[in-house]
Amino acid sequence: MAVGPASVARPAPVTGRPLSLRRTVDRESVFSWLMLAPGVLFLLAFVAYPFFYGMFLSLSERRVAQPGVFVGLANFVTMTQDAVFWQVTRNTFVYTIVATLLKMVGGLGMALVINQQFRGRNLARAFLLLPFIVPTVLSTVAWMWILDPTFSVINWSLVNSGLVKETFSWLGNATLAMVSIIGVNTWRGLPFYGITLLAGLQTISPDLYEAAAIDGAGVTQRFRYITLPVIKPVLIIVTMFSVIFTFSDFQLPYVLTHGGPANATHLFATYAFDIGMSAGVLGMGAAVALAMLPALAMLIVALTLYLRRE
Amino acid sequence: MTTRREFLNVSLVATGAALAPRWADAAGKATKTLTTARESSFIKAFDEFFVKTLAPEYEKLTGVKVGYEAVSVGGMLTRLTTIAETKSGPEIVGTGLNWPYLFDSALVDVSDIAGEVGKKMGGWLDIVEDVVVVNKKWKAIPWGNIGQLENYRTDWFKEVGVTKFPETWEDLLSAGRLLKKKGHPFGFELGHGFGDNHGWMYPLLWSYGGREVDKDGKTVLIDSSETAAAVDFCRRFYKETMLEDVLGWTDVNNNKAFLGEQISCTNNASSILVVAKRDFPEIAKVTDHALNPHGPKGRFHLLNAQSLALMAHAPDQAAAKAFLRWLYDDKQMSRWLAAGDAYYAPFQRAYDNHPMWQPEPRYLPFKESLKSSRPHTWPGPQGHAASESVAKYVLVDMFAKACRGDSTKDVIATAASQLRQIYKAK
Repeated sequence: MAVGPASVARPAPVTGRPLSLRRTVDRESVFSWLMLAPGVLFLLAFVAYPFFYGMFLSLSERRVAQPGVFVGLANFVTMTQDAVFWQVTRNTFVYTIVATLLKMVGGLGMALVINQQFRGRNLARAFLLLPFIVPTVLSTVAWMWILDPTFSVINWSLVNSGLVKETFSWLGNATLAMVSIIGVNTWRGLPFYGITLLAGLQTISPDLYEAAAIDGAGVTQRFRYITLPVIKPVLIIVTMFSVIFTFSDFQLPYVLTHGGPANATHLFATYAFDIGMSAGVLGMGAAVALAMLPALAMLIVALTLYLRRE
Repeated sequence: MTTRREFLNVSLVATGAALAPRWADAAGKATKTLTTARESSFIKAFDEFFVKTLAPEYEKLTGVKVGYEAVSVGGMLTRLTTIAETKSGPEIVGTGLNWPYLFDSALVDVSDIAGEVGKKMGGWLDIVEDVVVVNKKWKAIPWGNIGQLENYRTDWFKEVGVTKFPETWEDLLSAGRLLKKKGHPFGFELGHGFGDNHGWMYPLLWSYGGREVDKDGKTVLIDSSETAAAVDFCRRFYKETMLEDVLGWTDVNNNKAFLGEQISCTNNASSILVVAKRDFPEIAKVTDHALNPHGPKGRFHLLNAQSLALMAHAPDQAAAKAFLRWLYDDKQMSRWLAAGDAYYAPFQRAYDNHPMWQPEPRYLPFKESLKSSRPHTWPGPQGHAASESVAKYVLVDMFAKACRGDSTKDVIATAASQLRQIYKAK
């Protein structure tokens, strides 16, 4: 049955009669805004307002439970003179870059494996999602035990298998602490990459692979010239999301190390929280949090432009 | 629903129905309920006594229902910030450390109640006024201190010939060397926790004569030979007695390590012994407490006065004050403290010989430690800058970096630079 445009078209206003509330609501332009309103209000209340309020706070000398005083960019100037801030900046970039690369490579591998036909494939897919499903705080507490020097299953395994004689201080040594939080972040974020890339892989027609195989293309060539180009847009989108989540990560480092030892794992989010919520210096805390903005904004703009060009 | 109009009508009616009870409640609300928010206690019986005994008694007496919002350990400062910033939520809140200074403008003057309690209970210990009296006004009423003392294994200390806990830091270092050789290292937190790190590092600094900042809050004093001596000692103490992992520890780790029989000594509240008595009776038998050791310039402990404060946004402050007055009366407070199993050392002088100290002599050092307890950043003022210094772990990281291998000169210079920025000093 053909559906004519009249069924969705806006009713023509009746000339000479005042517009009633009913008629106003029934107009497509009004009704569509009414339907959009809850979503728009939600975004305004929980995204736009906190964001602009954060910007406003960052420009003021504002202590908890006290009125603020506008100080312009003074907080940002003070922030740049803080040695810990620069350490936090380095930490955040190292954490984000290394974790994202690991997740990208690992996630791609995971997607390629679970895209194959094997028994129990659906069960394997469900299990692989677990790290992403479990609340971060809970899984991080489990990792606290796994990395604990006394009760660490990793240390126990290494010592009892004879691979090492002395246990590692996973969270006490500055380098190992960074390695540990990157490892846990990779473990948690891998399924996000894997499942998203799997969706991309499933859009590739098997005919393409067959044709390439007939033409003599090997596994590497098929991956390079068929798989990679097709999933590239998905890879870019998922990387963009992953970078944003990793750059602003809070729960994992906060629970696992609280930025220690000696600030070795402090990231923008944890440092901003300590300054804003623990020290009560809300203006400076907001300024540190906003320090994330330029890098993330540049990344989003660059990737969006790239995707448009593609 | 078949039309847009019906959909909208149903949505509006549903929203209205959901909100109506709240509006009605808000419109006709009299003071029939009070809410308190406080960090949940390590002593379960302490919280239970409040909820199951004190609150029902008060409701029976006055008709006012008193609720208790338990905040997770370490989370109260964040909760307090949201309450103060939104000017909503619980009317009576728990405070610790220097928080009455931090939230001064959001708290009601409770000098009248504090005065009455002090008068009845033989007066308050002077030291507590440093953290709850802001501009000569009591902004919170303390009920007890959570002390941070030495927790140690008596059996292992005896194994190396130490039958009495060492009196000085140097003697403790000597004992620690022997114990580490025997496979029983020390474990003092040097990471970013919220209590067990500052709990021994401020006292260590003070006992060597070091100070972060002077009384005026403008003169940074950290760059001194006394601080250098404390840092040098800490480095030796760490390397010769401890596990490497302590650099990354937060507050749960030393408890776990002690109860896991991994360490022989740490600085902690009495929670280790409390848990040991409940879950590890064999460890409890060989666990004891001692005061922090002496340094060349004295013996110190950290002050953490647990108190209740009244928020300025409370709609009926008179009702909230009436409850506080009732709660701090000896008839209630005495029973509540007893339920706390001496975890909280009260500041009212009349409680010096309270029966709660009788059943377990191993808690007595916590009472003894009050005399030499000082607030964080002492002798500096207890304002916002003090909180910033604590939140940024200036002192903790100074010691931790030295233990990691950085030079004494460098770590002190970094701390001094941070403190100058925090205190806006030259």
